[in-house]
Amino acid sequence: MSIYGQYEDDLTTVLTDVEEKIRQLNQTTVADHQPKLYEHLIGRVKDPASMVEKCQRKNYPVTTEAALRRCHDAVGVRLVCNFISDISRCRAELARAPWCTIVKEKDYITNAKPNGYRSYHLILDVVEPFADVTGANPGHFFVEIQLRTIAMDSWASLEHELKYKHDIKNPERIGRELKRCADQLASCDVQMQTIRQLIQEG
Amino acid sequence: MRILLAEDEAQLARVLKLAMTNTGYQVDAVDNGQKAVELAQKNAYDVMILDIMMPVKDGVTALKEIRARGDRTYVIMLTAMTEVDDRVNGLDAGADDYITKPFSLKELLARLRSRERRSSRFDDRDLQFKDLALNSEEQVVESHNSISLTREETQMLAYLILNAGKQLSASDLRHHVWGADATTVDDEDVWITISYLRQKLQSIQSTTQISGAKGGPYTLKE
Repeated sequence: MSIYGQYEDDLTTVLTDVEEKIRQLNQTTVADHQPKLYEHLIGRVKDPASMVEKCQRKNYPVTTEAALRRCHDAVGVRLVCNFISDISRCRAELARAPWCTIVKEKDYITNAKPNGYRSYHLILDVVEPFADVTGANPGHFFVEIQLRTIAMDSWASLEHELKYKHDIKNPERIGRELKRCADQLASCDVQMQTIRQLIQEG
Repeated sequence: MRILLAEDEAQLARVLKLAMTNTGYQVDAVDNGQKAVELAQKNAYDVMILDIMMPVKDGVTALKEIRARGDRTYVIMLTAMTEVDDRVNGLDAGADDYITKPFSLKELLARLRSRERRSSRFDDRDLQFKDLALNSEEQVVESHNSISLTREETQMLAYLILNAGKQLSASDLRHHVWGADATTVDDEDVWITISYLRQKLQSIQSTTQISGAKGGPYTLKE
């Protein structure tokens, strides 16, 4: 049995449910003649082996309780947006949604990580009609939401390759290039945002 | 700074070279215009000091040849007090400044210091205003975060920083960023560049901002 114990299938249910609710938010927005909230959405249940590794790295016990309560990213959904302003629109919609509560936020767009990483992270508390690991029913499940632009997403994919490839000859140089690239992509995001505003102002 | 000195009066040349060397400059001294042209072709100088009256090749002819090769080094001419035409010819041939003989050593050294301040990379390339740090060479501005700038944004921000707190008209900014004779650029382009800069200052969480409505004037302030 994996670190998720008897809750493994429930996590998939939570993921499917949250994805569906976010799609509905988008459909409501578009039906209201607003631009779509995001370009695409991907979700995943964190691989059990990665979760074990994370618990060990954080000095948590390798238990289902730690995986589901102390870690918050067993279930994760990423919304990839066209424009920077879409990110705050997504955040506002989630804050308004009755089926979840935002319990934690990390704004790595305003406060980019030193390596250049930009993204907006939210932890949602989602209520589901089945028991959670504490025995509560209806149960509470944490879902990590990542909001970012297409440019931020591409950059993160590239950085991910660097992080998991250990035989790179000159990681410092590649790191510097990645940082420079992040600044240029941020520049493009701001440029598109500004052009969009100029269009709207006429 | 590395300086090329072309002066045929041996006594004066020796005094000038000694004074400049003592100040910390690296000086190559020659005694005619032809040698100056040859050295200018071979070495990179920060300043060239050329006497006008020299054997073999005079200073103005030497300067014309140096400029004809595309060399844009800062040039100071040494001219006789009485010869207005010398000064005019020298400036027209591409000199940046002149000093009339006899001159005081103090004045020459002060002019070199002034030149040094102008050309130092610190002054020109790395500018600071409040929480902003602009690196013009890398075209990056940094505050809480950092973000890349285009050439136009870099030059406009540099000009805004150098004149922080002052009201700058759209045409003033246009001339400084695109040049006085850029015919394809209008005040709308200035406005768009201002708009980009505003969003970028905001995205790096700077406490500074550019005030002013479309059409200008614009002011960088906190």
